[in-house]
Amino acid sequence: MPDKSSDLVQGTLDMLVLKTLALEPMHGYGISVRIEQISNGVFRPNAGSLFLAIQRLQRDGLIDGEWKPTENNRRAKYYVLTQKGRKRLNSETQEWSRQAAAIAKILEAS
Amino acid sequence: MSFLRNINSGLRSLFRKEQVDRELDEELGAYLEMEAAEKMKQGMSRKDALRVVRLERGNLEVTKEVVRSGGWESVVETCWRDLRFGLRVLRNSPGFTAVAVLTLALGIGANTVIFSAVYAVLLKPLPFKDSDRLVFIEKKNPPRGWTRNPISSAEIIAWHDQSGAFEDIAAYTQRNCVLTGAGEAEEDPCEVISSNLFPLLAVAPTRGRTFSAEEDRPQGPRVAILSYGLWQRRFAADEKVIGRAFDVNGDSYTVVGVMPSNFSHLYASPFGSPPELWLSGIGLSPTLVSNEYFGIGRLKPGITLQQAEAQMNTVSERIEPMHNDLKGWRAQLMTLRTNTSGDTRVALFVLMGAVIFVLLIACANIANLLLARGSGRANEFAVRNALGADKSRIIRQLLTESLVLSIAGGVLGVLLASLGCKALVALAPPFLLKSAPGLAAGATDVRVLAFALVAVITTTFFFGLAPALQNARPNVIETLKEAGRSAPQSPRSRRFRSALVVSEIALAMVLLIGAGLMVRTLAGLNRVNLGFNPTNVLTLRVPLSGERYKEPQARAQFWEHVVSAVESLPGVEAASVSRGLPINGWVGQFFTILDDPNPPAGQVPAANYVVIGPHYFRAMEIPLRRGRTFNDHDTQSGERVVIVNEELVRSYWPGQNPLGKQLRIGGQGPWRTVVGVAGDVLSQGPDGGFTPEMYIPYQQFPWLMEGPKHLVVRTSATVRPESLVHPVTEEIHRVDKDQPVADIATMEEIAQEPIKQQRMVMALLTSFACLALVLSALGIYGVLSYSIAQRTREIGLRLALGADQGSVLRLIVGTGARLALFGIAAGTAVALALTRMMTDLLYGVRPADPATFTVVTIVLASTSILACYIPARRAMRVDPIVALRYE
Repeated sequence: MPDKSSDLVQGTLDMLVLKTLALEPMHGYGISVRIEQISNGVFRPNAGSLFLAIQRLQRDGLIDGEWKPTENNRRAKYYVLTQKGRKRLNSETQEWSRQAAAIAKILEAS
Repeated sequence: MSFLRNINSGLRSLFRKEQVDRELDEELGAYLEMEAAEKMKQGMSRKDALRVVRLERGNLEVTKEVVRSGGWESVVETCWRDLRFGLRVLRNSPGFTAVAVLTLALGIGANTVIFSAVYAVLLKPLPFKDSDRLVFIEKKNPPRGWTRNPISSAEIIAWHDQSGAFEDIAAYTQRNCVLTGAGEAEEDPCEVISSNLFPLLAVAPTRGRTFSAEEDRPQGPRVAILSYGLWQRRFAADEKVIGRAFDVNGDSYTVVGVMPSNFSHLYASPFGSPPELWLSGIGLSPTLVSNEYFGIGRLKPGITLQQAEAQMNTVSERIEPMHNDLKGWRAQLMTLRTNTSGDTRVALFVLMGAVIFVLLIACANIANLLLARGSGRANEFAVRNALGADKSRIIRQLLTESLVLSIAGGVLGVLLASLGCKALVALAPPFLLKSAPGLAAGATDVRVLAFALVAVITTTFFFGLAPALQNARPNVIETLKEAGRSAPQSPRSRRFRSALVVSEIALAMVLLIGAGLMVRTLAGLNRVNLGFNPTNVLTLRVPLSGERYKEPQARAQFWEHVVSAVESLPGVEAASVSRGLPINGWVGQFFTILDDPNPPAGQVPAANYVVIGPHYFRAMEIPLRRGRTFNDHDTQSGERVVIVNEELVRSYWPGQNPLGKQLRIGGQGPWRTVVGVAGDVLSQGPDGGFTPEMYIPYQQFPWLMEGPKHLVVRTSATVRPESLVHPVTEEIHRVDKDQPVADIATMEEIAQEPIKQQRMVMALLTSFACLALVLSALGIYGVLSYSIAQRTREIGLRLALGADQGSVLRLIVGTGARLALFGIAAGTAVALALTRMMTDLLYGVRPADPATFTVVTIVLASTSILACYIPARRAMRVDPIVALRYE
């Protein structure tokens, strides 16, 4: 069972899901594909971790889910970012950039 | 918000499980389907595509499980499953479950009962505003060893104005009030209070108002506040009662207020009956020094009891030179709570300690049972372990089982506690009930129930944790290899179980010694010679007030008539009037001795003075040591006489002949000649000491017959004093039909009153100790039975190899006896350390009483041997053939 998502820093998956949904509402598979695409195949979350993250975000009120028909006439749950989710994404992105810059600086220094 | 959403979503998963599951199924299904569709686009067949996806994504069920276990509700679900499993396991061994639940119920029930008393008496705040700043003010006289004395008006005013420790000080004094006008005459306890008392307590009347400062003056308007009960009863809850006038002790008072029904009297001592009405006109003055008041103070914020006392004593020293009667007196403060709970503090702490011990023994017992069961279930745990359950999972499940036990025990225990509270109320001395009105309500208080809950959870860990830890580390391979045979006990677990039994015995030893000391105390108290004979004596009180008895002579005549009529009743041996009764309370008074009329201030002789009729000594059976008793010639026309007790002679005329000496009460009045010496009486109860006393014939000094007046009637040995209540009351009413008869009691009841607390402690402690004895005997029995069952093979082998039954018996009993011996030794050490805390409760016996320790050791040792003997006999009867085939 290939699981590249285990390389993800804890809590990053949540941020990636939020980021993905910031572009447009999407279902679970879509999110997974999008993350893989954007990261050029570096991250590929498995279904278990992904749906756990989705459940967690939903319970925290950062995203909302709605059943909609897909293009090939199945039903899938589409997730959208809530107002709160958008705010969280902004703050997390800033925090992330700050930390990443700091870490980069430390690494360059040596 | 998100917290609520989380809860809501979790609850949805719990209660609409199917729908949630279906949705998850569908969502994951769609996910796979879409991924497969992607692969099909690349040219795979649908079948292949699905297979590849499944291979890549792993088991769908596992994925679902991962997602499901993400929420908090999955923990609830596991617990619920453990709970149901636990219930099933317990149901399968009803014997064990019954014993464990019952043991716990007794332990938790006893704890709940005693805690409800501790809470009601010691912890619950009194129903007054900021009651922790309220103090009860009395005074003490250290040089003369007098404590808890009422205070004088002069001191109240000085402390209030000069000490700087109080926001305010209020005062009250207790009276007996005869109410006339508006219905039949009745006598009620009442209080004269200062107008600031109710505002200081921050309590308000339900109708009308409290007193004004103007009404504090002795010549001010006479006004009264009614208790709710009196208003309901005597005034038929009349809404127009405010402004109505009625007579109290012959004076007319106007009602200005009614206190609410839940008004608490606990600002005062809980001894005696709560007042039915409050009167104005306290008349405090800076020059009055008679000690008739109790003070209630509200401390300024941040001032401690000690600071206040120190500041008050500076004031006391300042005013001391003002009057001889102020010499040597210092303030004595205690919080209102301490004043109300009185000496029950020690008793309750001892009992609380005792029930905690009982609960610990119960826990040790159940822990032992669980350990024994655990080794029986070793197989189960090994299998679970082999199937992938980790250690914490098994511990969790075992603890859940224990929790089920203790919850069942707790529920049953709280039910038992409500019965137990009734028993406690029946046993408790009356002042305890008055000081804690919540006591009668039983274990219904939220805080008491919370205590029970905490007890349940704590006990779960106390008895459940050790066995769970032991059992959760199964030796999988060994156990499964032995499949079906009972696993041998590890030495470690055997040591642990022996330690449990040893501590049980030690705890039981401490309880038994406590109980033994109380039994000895009570036996001692009951053996005490009170100096009078309380059996076959009826006492009652007639207030004798009103216009008709304003003249002292009229009072004397009333008693003359009543006593002679009562004495002519069949079954009556002697009767007498008496101002006050021993134990019930006498009044102290200064007196002057003719030979030494000017003692230094602070050393003025004082004695209880008791006004009596000529037959008093006969009625009470107080022996006369010297001289003569009073007779019918000791009237106003005869020589003024007095009889003193031996203690007075010892204190003031040591080594001299007291007969013919002269003294007078107070500083003035006629000199009286001592004509007799009476035997000493323990006037404060069996655990008190002797005080100087002087007896004065009422016919000579009828004006002294103020205050409570009792009639004492001695009946012949065959007549029960209670049977004379009706005839005696009839005789009194024949003399004056309007006089209420109050406080009917036998002298025996009065004499029991001061030791009721010890009696309660003894009864409770003895029952707890018996419970502890039975539980620890069961503990030894259980451990030995189990170890014999484990060693059946060994015993069979020994017997087969020629050991006789006697040696097997010795082996088993020896094992048990060794445990008992360790337990007794440890218990003795602990008891020696702990019983010292009971010293205040004991009488005539030292905390380290060798007799008690010896008897308890014998009882505990023989019970333990007995508990060993039963399983040992079973071991003796082991048939070697059966035993060896058994495995």
